[in-house]
Amino acid sequence: MGRIVFGGAMSHVLDPDYYERACGALGRQTVVAVMAEIARMGERLSARQPDALIVVADDHLNAFSFNCVPAMCVRIGRRVQRMAQDHAEAFDKVLDHMPTEYPLHEALANAILEQGMEAGFDLALSWEAPVDHAFLSPVNTMHGTRPIPPLVPIFVNAFVAPQPTARRCFAFGQHIARVVAKSPWNVGIIATGGLSHFPELSLPRVGETDTVFDRKLIHWMEAGEHAPLQELTADELHKTGGHEFLNWMVLLGAVTPARADVRYFGELPRINLAAVEWRL
Amino acid sequence: MSRYAVNSLLYRLKKDPEFRDRFSRDAAAAVAGADLTESERAAFVARDMRRINELGGYLHLVMSIPGHAAH
Repeated sequence: MGRIVFGGAMSHVLDPDYYERACGALGRQTVVAVMAEIARMGERLSARQPDALIVVADDHLNAFSFNCVPAMCVRIGRRVQRMAQDHAEAFDKVLDHMPTEYPLHEALANAILEQGMEAGFDLALSWEAPVDHAFLSPVNTMHGTRPIPPLVPIFVNAFVAPQPTARRCFAFGQHIARVVAKSPWNVGIIATGGLSHFPELSLPRVGETDTVFDRKLIHWMEAGEHAPLQELTADELHKTGGHEFLNWMVLLGAVTPARADVRYFGELPRINLAAVEWRL
Repeated sequence: MSRYAVNSLLYRLKKDPEFRDRFSRDAAAAVAGADLTESERAAFVARDMRRINELGGYLHLVMSIPGHAAH
């Protein structure tokens, strides 16, 4: 019988140069500190020898553009490629020195997809979607030079309205937990993004965060109170810059009712950087 | 409101280096054939990413187009 052996969530632009440009010396210092905690989380993940690592993250209009924006998409196939971007700017630049290809755990991805459809989740699937910083920055920071386990990338539409609801993301996470429990594998799962940044996706508001909102989310996660989190609305997430918390909702569904330990929370003008791990 | 036209143009600027070069040289000519309102067209011609974002251009695109990114 399979088991979720690790659950974690973290910010996903893990690049000291990016934060130094955006927030000065404090930006560099803060992201270096969160990266150190994320690396330690990676050591604990590796010590549990997972057969696969599920990564729940959002696309930033890189893999999916305006041909199709799936609410939730399971990346299937044998390998996944890093997003290609010439002359990368800003958060895309973090990818520049990362490996370009990663193995997938094909059987687990197919099980999540096929059993999901049977259970009433109308999931999208992709054999070709590349992954951007939201997937690869945390995965590489966690593993450093150690081998990365076969991945199962799961895309959640965090930005293009209308997004899936927090409640639905949580239910999908519960589905993932059921699939893993029936499988023969030990599985790690991480969710990435956030915390509060880019409220209303408005350029003049880049540089604002909602720390009161983030502390409320953290309180509920630490207490294992997952019911109020499922009540979060799209409007609330949009106004607070909490869009990417939808990824965390999938993870919460997969590990509920576990309580969270905050490994790092650091406020910057542009974003609140966080690293959180669940007691499994 | 032509949010699709604005965003598909932004996406093309990000992912198509040849189109981006044409836009850098002559923005008005590059967007001449696009289905834009007058205010959208003016914002692209001025390369005004803040205005394009106000008009419905997705934030992550206006922040990451090589050579034209708003920070």
